[in-house]
Amino acid sequence: MYWVSVVTEAAIFAILALGLDMVWGWAGDFDLAFYGYLALGSYMTMVLTIGKPIPPVSYIIGWRLPYPLALLLAVAAVIALAAVIGAIALRNLREIYFAVTTLSAVSALYLFVENYTPLFDGYNGVYGLINPGQTALNLTYNGYRIVFLGVVLVLLALVYLTVQRLSASPFGRMLRSVREDEHAAAAYGRGVFSAKYRAYLFGAALAGLAGGLFAVFISAFNPSAWTPQELLVIYAAILVGGRGNPFGVVAGVFAVYIGFIEVTRFLPSPAARPEFGPALRQVLIGLLIILVLKFRPEGLFRERLSRDRSPQ
Amino acid sequence: MSAAVLQIENLSKSFGGIRAVHDCSFAVGQGQVLGLIGPNGAGKSTVVDLVSGFGQPDAGSIRLAGQELVGMRPDVISRLGLIRTFQNPREWRGLTVMDNVLLARRRFGRESLWRCLTRARRLRREEEPDREQARAIMDRFQLAELKNARAGTLSGGQKRLLEFARIAAADPRLVILDEPMGGVNPVLGVHIRDAVRQFAAAGQAVVVVEHNLPFIENTCDEVVVMDLGEVIAQGVFAGLRGNPRVVDAYLGMDLSHD
Repeated sequence: MYWVSVVTEAAIFAILALGLDMVWGWAGDFDLAFYGYLALGSYMTMVLTIGKPIPPVSYIIGWRLPYPLALLLAVAAVIALAAVIGAIALRNLREIYFAVTTLSAVSALYLFVENYTPLFDGYNGVYGLINPGQTALNLTYNGYRIVFLGVVLVLLALVYLTVQRLSASPFGRMLRSVREDEHAAAAYGRGVFSAKYRAYLFGAALAGLAGGLFAVFISAFNPSAWTPQELLVIYAAILVGGRGNPFGVVAGVFAVYIGFIEVTRFLPSPAARPEFGPALRQVLIGLLIILVLKFRPEGLFRERLSRDRSPQ
Repeated sequence: MSAAVLQIENLSKSFGGIRAVHDCSFAVGQGQVLGLIGPNGAGKSTVVDLVSGFGQPDAGSIRLAGQELVGMRPDVISRLGLIRTFQNPREWRGLTVMDNVLLARRRFGRESLWRCLTRARRLRREEEPDREQARAIMDRFQLAELKNARAGTLSGGQKRLLEFARIAAADPRLVILDEPMGGVNPVLGVHIRDAVRQFAAAGQAVVVVEHNLPFIENTCDEVVVMDLGEVIAQGVFAGLRGNPRVVDAYLGMDLSHD
C-alpha cells in the first residue's frame, strides 16, 4: 500500500506540474502562486463536501455535495482567484517582478487563511473528506485507495493528452513565440497579455484539479500542507524532466518524487534529530536543481520542435 | 503616388525634457519606398516606435490607410496591416525557421485555445496551404534547407533573411524596416535591396530607417531627413545632396560617395 500512496501523490503532482509548465515552460513566467491554487482547490473541495462545521471548528459553506461536483466548483473557484492574480501580475510585470508579485499574493493569502479562522478554520485547517464514495462502491479501505489511484492515473492521462495536444497546436506555438520575444510577437499581431493570461488560467485550473484530488489523498488540509518549498520541488521536477515538454514534465515528477524523495527517505535520521532527514532532502533538491542547470539545462527531454516533414 | 498608406501629421514626443520628435509630418504611398535618414539621435527610431504603437505620441496624428492609430496597442496596429522590424533581428529563437514563418502568416483564428483543443485535426489540415506557402517563401530567401532548424542557431545573415521571409509571409500593407543593413555583407545587401523593391512592386508601402546611404540611394524612391527630432528635408535623394541643412546635419559628410 505504501507504493500505491507514493504513486498517487506523484500522479497528482504531475497534473499540477503540467499546469505550471504551461505558465513557466511555454509562456516563460516564473510563477510562485501555484501552490496556493492547489491549496484553494483542496480547501474548496473539502468545505463543499464535508458538511456543516461543528463548533468550535468553523469554515465557510459547509455543504455536502457529491465529490465530482465539488471538484468542478473548486476548480472554478481557483480559476476565479487566478483571474485576479493573473490580471494584476501578468499585465506589465515580467521575470523577477512577476515572480515577486505572485509570491506576495500567495503569501498574503497564506497569512489570511492561517489567521482568519471563519474561512478554513485557520491553522487547524479542514478535515473529514474520507474516501468519498467508498460505501457506495462497496470497497475496503485499501481497495478504495487502489481504485482512487486508478482514477488519478486516468485523469493524469487525460490531462497529459490535452496538454500535449495544446503543446503541438498553433496555440502552443503562439504562446512560445510570446515567451521567446514578446515585442516581436506583438509586432506580429499577438496580444501578449491575453496569450499569457489564457495559459495562466488553464494552468491554474489544472492546479485546482490537482488540489481537489489531493484533498482525497490526504483527507485533511491545513496551512502546513502548502509551504513554499513544495513548489520548489515541482520546479525541480519540471527542470529535470524538461521544461516545455509535457512528457518530460510527467517523467520528471515521477523521477523526483519516486526516484529521489523516496530513496532519500531511507537516509539516516537520528532519533534525537527527527527533522534531519527531511532537511537533508531539501538540501539535495537544491543540489539537484544546480546540477541539472549546470550539466543539462534543457532537462532529460528537451522541448520538442515541430518538424515539417514534407520533402523539399 | 496613390493615396497615402501611412500619413503622419505634426507628430511630437518628448522624454522628460528632451524633444525626441517635434512636429514631424510625412506620408508614404502604396508601392513607395521611403528612406528615413538622419544622424544618431535624430528621432528616427522614436518615430518607428510611435507609428507601431510601442510608444505613445504627445501630439499629432498617425493614420494607416485613413485609420487613426494613436492610442492603439502594437498588436492591434499590426493586425491593421503594419509589420515593423527592430534594429537587431528578433527571431523566435527556440522555434524552428518553419514555425517562425508560419507564425508570421498570422492565422489568428487558428490560435484559439478552444479550437486547438477541439479541432486539432481540422486545424492541421487547414494549415497545409500556409505551410506550402511558407516553404515557397523560405525557398525565395534561401532558408529551405534550414526549415527545421532552431531559428536561434542561424547565422546573422540568415537571421536577416528570416526577418524578410517573415514579412513576406505576413504580407502587410506597410513595412517599416529599422536598419535592415546592420551587420550585413555587400552580397546579402543586394538581396535585401531586391526584397525591399519586391515588397514595393507587390504594392506595399515601405519605410526604411538606415545609415547606409548608398543603400538608401539605390533602394528608396524618396527620402525624409531628420535632425534633432525634426524633418529638415524631404525629396528624392539626388536633390538633397546640395541641401545645406542636410549636409550640416551630417557634419559635412560627403553625400555623393562616388
